[in-house]
Amino acid sequence: MKRPVLDTAPKVIKRIDFGILSSQDVKQLSVLELHQRDLYDVTRQNRPPARFGALDRRLGTADKAEPCETCGENVQDCVGHFGVIRLVLPVFHIGYFKLMITVLQNICKTCSKVMVDEQTRRLYLKRLRNPNLDGVRRKEILKNLNALCKKTARCPHCSSLNGMVKKVGALKIVHEKFKKKAKTEEEEVFRQSFEQAIKLDPALKSHISKAQEDLNPLTVIELFSAVSDEDCELMGLNPEHSRPELFIWNALPVPPVCIRPSVGQESSSTEDDITVLASEIVDINTKIRACMQDGTQTPLLMEYWDFLQLQCAMYVTSDLPGIPTHLQGNLPKIKKGFCQRLKGKHGRFRGNLSGKRVDFSGRTVISPDPNLRIDQVAVPERVCKILTYPERVTPYNIERLRKNIINGPDVLPGATYVTAQSNGMKRFLKYGNRRKIADELRVGDTVDRHLQDDDVVLFNRQPSLHKLSIMSHFVKVRPWRTFRFNECVCTPYNADFDGDEMNLHVPQTEEARAEAIELMGVKNNLVTPRNGEPLIAATQDFITASYLLSRKDVFYDRSQFAQICSYLGDSLLDIELPPPTIWKPFALWTGKQIFGVLLRPNKSSKIVVNLETKCRTFDKDQKDRNGTPFSKLRTLADQPFHSSMCPNDGYLFIHNSELMSGVIDKAIIGDGNKKSMFYVVLRDYGPVAAAECMNKIAKLSARWLANQGFSIGINDVQPGDRLRKEKEITVERGYSECDKTITLSREGKLPNQPGCNEEQTLESKLSGILSKIRDDVGQVCFQELNKYNAPLIMSLCGSKGMYMTRSSKINVSQMVACVGQQIISGNRIPNGFGDRSLPHFPKNSKTPPAKGFVRNSFYSGLSPTEFLFHAVSGREGLVDTAVKTAETGYMQRRLMKALEDLVCHYDLSVRDSSGGIIQFKYGDDGLDPPNIEGSEQPVEFTRNLMHSQAVRPTGSDPFLTKQQAMSIVASEIKKKDFRHVSGEFIKSLQSFLEAELTPPSPPPSAARDIAAHPIKSGITAAQLHHFLSTCKTKYARAVIQPGTAVGAVGGQSIGEPGTQMTLKTFHFAGVASMNVTLGVPRIKEIINASKNISTPIIDTRLIQAVGGYGAVQTRFAAEAASRVVKARIEKTLLEDVMEYIQEIITGEEVSLKIKIDLETIRKLQLEVNIHSIRDAIVRAPKLKISDVHIKVETADRLRVVVPRAKNDTVNPYILMQALKRALPKVVIKGLPTVARAVINDVEAEKRLNLLVEGYGLREVMGVDGKQTIIDEILYTMKSHGMTIDRRHVMLLADLMTFKGEVLGITRFGIAKMKDSVLMLASFEKTTDHLFEASFFSKHDKIQGVSECIIMGVPMTLGTGLFKLVQQTDQQPKKQMPLLFDSPDFHVPLK
Amino acid sequence: MSDYGGSDGGGDYDEPVEYDEALEEPMVEGEDDFAAVERAEVLPLGAGDDNDRPPGSTGPGPIPKDQRMTTPYMTKYEKARILGTRALQISMNAPVMVDLTGESDPLHIAMKELRERKIPLMIRRFLPDGSWEDWAVEELIPPE
Repeated sequence: MKRPVLDTAPKVIKRIDFGILSSQDVKQLSVLELHQRDLYDVTRQNRPPARFGALDRRLGTADKAEPCETCGENVQDCVGHFGVIRLVLPVFHIGYFKLMITVLQNICKTCSKVMVDEQTRRLYLKRLRNPNLDGVRRKEILKNLNALCKKTARCPHCSSLNGMVKKVGALKIVHEKFKKKAKTEEEEVFRQSFEQAIKLDPALKSHISKAQEDLNPLTVIELFSAVSDEDCELMGLNPEHSRPELFIWNALPVPPVCIRPSVGQESSSTEDDITVLASEIVDINTKIRACMQDGTQTPLLMEYWDFLQLQCAMYVTSDLPGIPTHLQGNLPKIKKGFCQRLKGKHGRFRGNLSGKRVDFSGRTVISPDPNLRIDQVAVPERVCKILTYPERVTPYNIERLRKNIINGPDVLPGATYVTAQSNGMKRFLKYGNRRKIADELRVGDTVDRHLQDDDVVLFNRQPSLHKLSIMSHFVKVRPWRTFRFNECVCTPYNADFDGDEMNLHVPQTEEARAEAIELMGVKNNLVTPRNGEPLIAATQDFITASYLLSRKDVFYDRSQFAQICSYLGDSLLDIELPPPTIWKPFALWTGKQIFGVLLRPNKSSKIVVNLETKCRTFDKDQKDRNGTPFSKLRTLADQPFHSSMCPNDGYLFIHNSELMSGVIDKAIIGDGNKKSMFYVVLRDYGPVAAAECMNKIAKLSARWLANQGFSIGINDVQPGDRLRKEKEITVERGYSECDKTITLSREGKLPNQPGCNEEQTLESKLSGILSKIRDDVGQVCFQELNKYNAPLIMSLCGSKGMYMTRSSKINVSQMVACVGQQIISGNRIPNGFGDRSLPHFPKNSKTPPAKGFVRNSFYSGLSPTEFLFHAVSGREGLVDTAVKTAETGYMQRRLMKALEDLVCHYDLSVRDSSGGIIQFKYGDDGLDPPNIEGSEQPVEFTRNLMHSQAVRPTGSDPFLTKQQAMSIVASEIKKKDFRHVSGEFIKSLQSFLEAELTPPSPPPSAARDIAAHPIKSGITAAQLHHFLSTCKTKYARAVIQPGTAVGAVGGQSIGEPGTQMTLKTFHFAGVASMNVTLGVPRIKEIINASKNISTPIIDTRLIQAVGGYGAVQTRFAAEAASRVVKARIEKTLLEDVMEYIQEIITGEEVSLKIKIDLETIRKLQLEVNIHSIRDAIVRAPKLKISDVHIKVETADRLRVVVPRAKNDTVNPYILMQALKRALPKVVIKGLPTVARAVINDVEAEKRLNLLVEGYGLREVMGVDGKQTIIDEILYTMKSHGMTIDRRHVMLLADLMTFKGEVLGITRFGIAKMKDSVLMLASFEKTTDHLFEASFFSKHDKIQGVSECIIMGVPMTLGTGLFKLVQQTDQQPKKQMPLLFDSPDFHVPLK
Repeated sequence: MSDYGGSDGGGDYDEPVEYDEALEEPMVEGEDDFAAVERAEVLPLGAGDDNDRPPGSTGPGPIPKDQRMTTPYMTKYEKARILGTRALQISMNAPVMVDLTGESDPLHIAMKELRERKIPLMIRRFLPDGSWEDWAVEELIPPE
């Protein structure tokens, strides 16, 4: 490995200063000056690199055979040495070109002083010298100064003329000193200087008037050198490090050969672009020198100079816009300048500094293994032999490591290297006497041993969209070639086993291991921080098996039950058989009892679960044989049945870890549900217990299902006779209904829906009917299929297949009965074939089959047209996914860059790396999203109270009265351990208890029916205390832990669901036709802080007197009143109320006559008359019709006389035509920015409101930017069925607004949020930021996350937020106080 | 471990030469100015802290024990780092503070030490203004 030359003392990088090397510096750094254009010396044998050429051996070596001539080291150790090309003529540095022009604009081109008067100058200096100035404000000040100077025409100091300085072509600057009109004396003098030239070449004369001052590098150097130090400061430059003249190139550094190695073939070699350019520059430089010595013609010299300039620019960056064409021809094709090496995804910054290639990692295909624990990963033996861990020898492990050494590198568990502590020698164990090495092993040596069981590794699958995409597992060494893990862990990685590959990394230090397992361990990441729902949970077969096992009709005798129980563990589990459910005629156990055993295998287990929740199949309106819904059924005592009596067995009730009722389906053991069984275990008994349960479920399910068998065949999707008939009837009924609607619409009898035209109305009606067909068919299908139907079982229990509504299982119904309507971008299949979708249908046909309704099932087979339609909508899905990945990926990257350094500090405030406060208390309540148990509360009160009552049996304890209970609560919360609990939480706790205890405790006999009156039966003191202490501990656990990278977690939580959203989704904001952008595009709009959004819709509340109906007025009256409002807001054009427009041409004038339709105006309640229309026309911009040109003829007629053009050059007829086209577009009423307003009926509130499409109302709206961002993101996510904890969104909104304006998460917004050069350079516009940094001598304090990663420094969040101090008994060495260093002698300076 | 003389050998940990090599070792990271204050905590409260700061300075400094205001719970980050640092120390043959029952993995030993609250480390929690609180591991309530 190449090591740079270092001082021996370890040092910490505290800050990076950006600056510029002067020509002197460059020359000092370099070992030689290049002046040979040839790369190789062809005159000598073997063509060695030419001396003083770009590949000179003294610049270092890239050749294994030859050592470096400067340091004598070989290719491995030589770091390389710089060379220099001394330029004969200076050239501009392309990177600083723009910045230099700014400086030129600021200074006087005669006296080199900044062109502001003394007073302004002092003001600006004062502002710039403010020590607390941040980068953004500094830039602002400099920009103002520049604007001020640009305006100044005469220098206030020397009063010479100054004009515009601008760039001409790619690399020339011109000073347009003289303006066209104002002639000045100076110009006179300037022009006269050309007289000699005109004399020699008269052809020049006509061009002289265009001549301006040329600012070539030489003049610019001269100007810059004369700038005073104070003026430098005024322009934001640091006079000590970056005087402006340094930014012009006099000497060109040439980097060492090792960073631009040549690729040699047998006889030829390919050179790096930099090498080629360097030698070209040497060449042209030599030519210029020759020219200047010989005194050849100026034009040739100038051409050479320009070319040198260009070459030097290409040296820096190869993508130069506007290269002069005459120079382009003979240019070599340069692909990579220095900028290109830094830029982009694979550039130095993003490719090598922010992300690095690593050792100790592996990658292979993954496969499932339910017998592994969820926190394990099976690593193939051959991988274990390659990946090693450097274990230090201690007295406890020395024997084990000796065995490893003896096994050597080829036998597991072995070792590859041993490093002795005494001399640092590293010995390879493949050869040599391993026994001897083992014997010589000393405590303190390091052994690179193979991976072994229970080693900690990181496991990852790309794309790594959230923190759960990389977690740490324990190794299990196994044979064969794949990485294997428990299927429960598929969800966080988003992995399946269709050929996915995953990566594995081995942490190499004890610290890394400890942090990996404590912070990234699977067990510590069972829930997603996005919303606190469990993410690692049973999936697929585990759910199917649990469902089948827990059904009501499953009974086992003793032997079978014991067998199944033994599936749970690996024969190490102490299981106590529960008493059988049925004793006579012989003992039988139910399948449900297995789950009791699973949760609590024996009496010594502390896991006591109490849970009451709905299963997926719960349906309170389930009809029985007589058609009575379940909710209406009554017991003999005329009481409603308890939900657990649900005929579907759809209500889960677990009492003290005994499953009383309900089936185990996805809602109980699946992911994404806070009422699931695992979640309860996790919350009440911790992650280890929850993980243990999952291990058991996985083993049980896999083993039980292997014996039971579960498969799918063609008979599972064959519809029965009845189903087929029913389906035909339903489809036919739907078709005829569609036909009826189409006929109605064709006759014009179909009433339009609000805000829709005829076509839209018809479409929405038809799609309603068609989707109903599929639902109905699905329903029939569901009723007809038998309960052992495999797809149906999977669909019911949620292990596979989509679940649309309560009773229709889309996948099953598509296979068995009917595929249904095919949709493309939210509509039925469009007409792509000229008025029809396919030539198989009549033109303009709107019938279901012609627009993509597939009536066949996948079983019956699709007809050719149906097949095509199905493919159409299938392709849309594919395209969507492809587009979406790129889009959300970029969004995620931006979010992360903006949020990465936000951290929650020890005072619970959220700050960025430079100390800027984003939030005073994280999420306003200081709670951590993954620990929110209920809705917005860290404790789900109802369940916990029930739990407390169940685990502390009432026995003979008396129930408390309400007063007693409340007084216990009051005294309890005053205790010390409630000190950290927030007032809001205590308040909600009290009000919950208040409500629960309200009815006076009934006699204990009623306590039997706990479920119906879970609490009200009464509570004992023990129970109450248990409950309160649970609340307290859970709250304490939910408080955000200082050090949490809340920003990164928030960014991931917002970005990751983006990938799951289908790209283009619209939905109707109450009214059909009023589309609202949703999905990724909407999220993008919000976080970009776009000024122009695609569907601006304002929901305007009409006041009760106008829009309210019911109590105040009838609905009809409300609608009439609303229409008036609507008419005043909505933009109405003249053409909307115009009957006709007539051309009138007479001898005297040309005019237009407009007839207004008064009836329409009345119907629309427009409140306009002929005069207001006239005024509107006069006011209309661009028409320029004055008052006199419009005449009101009658109450409905206007005459507009076409005004004559000034000098009659334009034909009045043409003018009239233009006017005729323009007039109908005049806005006569409403806000021009409001395209449309639709009256919407909010039935729930008995109120009409107005949906306004456009921006028009901004002037009268108060907009809370932060709140809007929060609400809109949450709304968008919610409409995609995704929940995000609002704390994440709040943090994003706070970040976007904390600077005082709404900043988007874009390169512009982020540049305003952060000051760090490295961070910005690693984001976007890498080189721009770097050039700017060195021009203004910026500093980077290496505080943020990106900077720390780039510099390889531990960052200050998470485990880096605090420091550790060793506790010792030693007395500290006290520094002796200095004799005179007493406070009395300290005199303040001011 | 008894070879090293048990727990009184506090100085044993403090060998900078050892730590340089094995990555950055947090406890020696405290530079000279810190080192003085770092042990001042062992002194009677109050007195030592103020004297060590430059006289008349109003800048942030240590917060006395009775005025500490951060959470008494150990955060998971603190737990992870303490376990990591301690495991590293143990792996480098620092004396172990608990009785071992066959464990050989330094991380497991460190976990056992933490369970028994025997880790000789303190956490220096920095507040955003630069002042800090020192918490001994045994004072903190460990997570879970």
